[in-house]
Amino acid sequence: MRVPWIAATFFLARSALAVFADEAWNVDYHYALLGLPKQSTSFFHQPNPSSRASLIYTLSEEGVLGAVNPRDGSVVWRQLLLSEALAYNVSFLRAGEGQDTVISGIGSQVAAWSAADGRQAWILDTAGPLQDVEILELSDGRETAGAKDAIALSGGEHPAVVRIDGTSGAIKWQYQWDGVDQPYQVSASTTEVFAILLHKTLLGYVKLKVVSLDPVTGRKTDEHVVSSENELASAETIVSVGANSASPIVAWTNSAHSVLKVNILGTKEISSFNIEAHDSHAVERVEIHAPYHTNSLSHFLVHYETATSHWADVFHIDLKNSKIEKAYSLPKMTGKGAFSTGTSDANVFFTRVTRDQVMTVSSASHGVLGRWAVAGFGVAAGPGESVEPVHAVSEVSIKGTSVSAVRSAVLLSTGDWVLLRDGSPVWNRPEVLASTVSATFAIPAEVQEFVQQLEAEAHGNPISAYIHRVTRHLQDLQKLPAIMASLPQRIVQGFLGTSADGGIASDSFGFHQIIACATRDGRLVALDAGNPDKVLWNQQVADLQLGQTWQPSVSSPEGGIIEINSKASAGVRYNASTGEQLFSILPIDETAGEVALPVKYAIHKGELDATVDTKMAWHFTPMSGERIVSLVPRPVNDPVASIGKVLGDRRVLYKYLDPNLALLVTANDVTKAATFYVLNTISGAILYSNVHSGVDLGSPISSMLSENWFAYSFTAEASANSPKGHQLVAGELFESLVANDRGPLSASANYSSMQTGTEPFTLAQTYQIPEPISHMAVTRTRQGITSRQLLAVLADSSAIVGIPYGVIDPRRPVSRDPTKDEQMEGLVRYSPVLDFDPKWYLNHQREIVGIKDVVTSPALLESTSLVFAYGLDVFGTRLSPSFSFDVLGKDFNKFQMLATVAALAVATFVVAPLVARKQVNARWQFA
Amino acid sequence: MRSLLTLLCATLASAASLNIAILPSLHLPNPSLLPPSTHAVLIGPPGVRYDAALRRDNTLKFEALPEASYLLTIYSRDHFFPPLRVDVSKVTDGAEQQTIEAWQTFRGNEWSNKGSPYGSGTDALSIQIQASAQKEFYQTRGGFDMLGFLKSPMILMGLVSVVFIFGLPYIMDNMDPEMKQEFEEMQKKGPLTGSQGAATQMQNFDVAGWLAGKK
Repeated sequence: MRVPWIAATFFLARSALAVFADEAWNVDYHYALLGLPKQSTSFFHQPNPSSRASLIYTLSEEGVLGAVNPRDGSVVWRQLLLSEALAYNVSFLRAGEGQDTVISGIGSQVAAWSAADGRQAWILDTAGPLQDVEILELSDGRETAGAKDAIALSGGEHPAVVRIDGTSGAIKWQYQWDGVDQPYQVSASTTEVFAILLHKTLLGYVKLKVVSLDPVTGRKTDEHVVSSENELASAETIVSVGANSASPIVAWTNSAHSVLKVNILGTKEISSFNIEAHDSHAVERVEIHAPYHTNSLSHFLVHYETATSHWADVFHIDLKNSKIEKAYSLPKMTGKGAFSTGTSDANVFFTRVTRDQVMTVSSASHGVLGRWAVAGFGVAAGPGESVEPVHAVSEVSIKGTSVSAVRSAVLLSTGDWVLLRDGSPVWNRPEVLASTVSATFAIPAEVQEFVQQLEAEAHGNPISAYIHRVTRHLQDLQKLPAIMASLPQRIVQGFLGTSADGGIASDSFGFHQIIACATRDGRLVALDAGNPDKVLWNQQVADLQLGQTWQPSVSSPEGGIIEINSKASAGVRYNASTGEQLFSILPIDETAGEVALPVKYAIHKGELDATVDTKMAWHFTPMSGERIVSLVPRPVNDPVASIGKVLGDRRVLYKYLDPNLALLVTANDVTKAATFYVLNTISGAILYSNVHSGVDLGSPISSMLSENWFAYSFTAEASANSPKGHQLVAGELFESLVANDRGPLSASANYSSMQTGTEPFTLAQTYQIPEPISHMAVTRTRQGITSRQLLAVLADSSAIVGIPYGVIDPRRPVSRDPTKDEQMEGLVRYSPVLDFDPKWYLNHQREIVGIKDVVTSPALLESTSLVFAYGLDVFGTRLSPSFSFDVLGKDFNKFQMLATVAALAVATFVVAPLVARKQVNARWQFA
Repeated sequence: MRSLLTLLCATLASAASLNIAILPSLHLPNPSLLPPSTHAVLIGPPGVRYDAALRRDNTLKFEALPEASYLLTIYSRDHFFPPLRVDVSKVTDGAEQQTIEAWQTFRGNEWSNKGSPYGSGTDALSIQIQASAQKEFYQTRGGFDMLGFLKSPMILMGLVSVVFIFGLPYIMDNMDPEMKQEFEEMQKKGPLTGSQGAATQMQNFDVAGWLAGKK
């Protein structure tokens, strides 16, 4: 135990680079996201049955379970239930009335979570993938005193219905059936449990089979088929299977969406209703909204949607004679709408959210109880895009007989989750960013325009340049009144040290870069790194069908422009500041082809192929049994300030700098070995390679290459010469290991990357780290003078650490103390254990979950690198790996400086007469 | 159906379970305040990894662990926990049962280097663990400290000389004439000052004469 702590204190003593207390929470920004919420798994629920305050719970498309405070939209707690996000995953979230837990079902796991703080109550693995999870609300005293039990329906080879004890998570009973019927859903009334199975007929149609079970014993009491022979072509037209209502129903439509059929579970009658077409468009979607409480009125709402409009019908169920009657209709409105149910005692209220209003009606009659106009949702959208509500959950406050307030959490078509209180937006969460798959930094278009104007003046003939300049200044004069008006405020802010760095146009440090994020559902969202509280613009750039995916890569080929490349479209460009699509013809660089032929390399069928001008340049085949895990090239824009490392005695060790390097990782699944190669991507030569055995290939293997050094990490099993755990290897390439000697390169005047015979001398060192690194990146600064930090994503700690290069420097002296020269260089004795000092955590106390990639960009200041991490959460900060040497930091106290100047001035004025008198006296007085 | 259930029960019974309770400690007085993201990870042989979330009763539970040697790490937002080694092995004589043992382990040391045992059990093991340190995320800036400023030797020297420059003439002026005379006498007689003092002699030293060999 002592060894790590000695190491830790040792690093603390070095006063490593850290997050300062006054910069934390100000310089960095973080969106704690959940992902797009799903209608079926989102609801308001009171975490503490004794208090009326409720939270919004959701289990999102990303597989994140979370509770959101409806007051400010902050996340109260979250749990990442899926490590790998699957689009359109099957997941369930239920909360029993008056319960302090919520029960989730995802994959094959059913788990109960404390509603107030997100701690796990129990977890149960079912045999197969879950088809449904419900909470059993029994009314006849057979209910257990503690938590309400859950029922789960699992599929797979042995489909089963299980009743799970709500307190312990133990299985109370299990019902399995023989035959080929597929499990579909499970439902429960106060007296019975229904399993709805799909029975495939010979003609390929499906029939709905309802199996009634005794909730106490799990024995089958009844079984019948409700739908007729060739009614259902597939399970897709089954609209809904209600649960936990006074009388659960199952509803389905025919494939043309023209007839709605409803069956009250437990009965055999089917009520049939015609769906009237309201206009020429066909009904595309039918949805049922019903209350989720056993003691609520058994009313439900059917929501119909066409391409251009929507309307709804409200139905009442007569419990005595099991009849369903249509009560009233809600009129057709253009655009999309979202319906949600809210309850108060037994009364049921339906809230309708459309693009311009929020309206609440009682389920009993069609009289409007409350109507509020929506002026706007307060979210950024693309040009010409109308923001539509996709789905909503609502909580209705009732005073007497009228509705006093309605809170609706609405998912919008822009991917924002907005809370509307009486029609006005209170907060919005840009959940669309949770599915970011590619991101880039870009210089704002305004800055780029200014640069172009200056260039035009510099390169034009003097007279026209002069005229250009004068007109530009005259144009600038128009902004003078605005500047004058804001001047007093700026001065005050300057004094108080609260200057928020101004807008994009007045960005002298280059902190206001635009971050463009392409999301999985085909949107492009832009943030301002200097003012990240607001989404700059957000628009749909790809029209994806349901279930379709795209793999976009976003880049900024030049200032002010964002380019998206995907398989479908090559190089669509957008204005970085406004998001406007730029119509440009493909840039053809005529000179490029003649002067230099690029070597293009790509992983193709498990091998690495490089081509020059369609001819094969080189070819890398992994050894037999090995597969390529990853390939990390040196960044294209990777400035290096010095070609050597200055030693303590002023001699120089020359770095092996080659722009065409890549780190390739291969793995052998049989021998559990991972091989790491440093390749020259022009010649295909292997410059360095290392094999590690006993590697856990299931855990992440991350790697990084920059300047003349590389780093990789992996998890290894204990062996004779290495302990079990996670390892970080850092290597550095030198031209020679002799100081002031460039090795064979010193003799040659010319250098060709094609014919180089020189090989680097590589130093590498291994460190034991406390947890796996899932992704690596490196800080980038404008000229590369500032020392670099290795940014490591720690998935287990939900953190990103910035490891200073000096700590992992392979030149740290092994088993001896550093000499005086080495101390001058800042090298410390090698210790095999590397603890991540909490002061290195860029996120400090924030928890950043699900990070998949980190992008960095240099600011205008040499000291500063901008960092942006995405995946599930979005996190960004500014880093100064060598401290902020070129800008006054927050520690510079302007007030103290002014006070000192003032004190000196006062002292001068006070002392001056005294000195003058003394000088006069010295001349005139004789002792 | 029953056969599957019994099979399931049998596998559950034969596989070891581990229950880790987090106790209050100096660094963590109330474990109930741990964030819900606190979790424990068991890493077994390559490809084997179990993850358990923190429960409401401040425990972490692993069920049905196969036989292997595991590294147990507990991750929490604000605290460090010591890493443990957990071994699940077959009882040598019994056919169905498993032994489960836990020790402290040291990173950077060989795997066989076990620390103090945390406990051992048959089929089930409950151990107790305490947070070993709190994470300190923030570095405070060296702000302006008046006392520290005054304590620095340069400032002290300066202050002393200021006192001498301004204070001494003032004291001299306020002394009564006899004392003053006495003081001046004393100064003259001092080893450095006065006509026979070392300083005066040094100043009056005849360099040219000495070089010329004058005695």
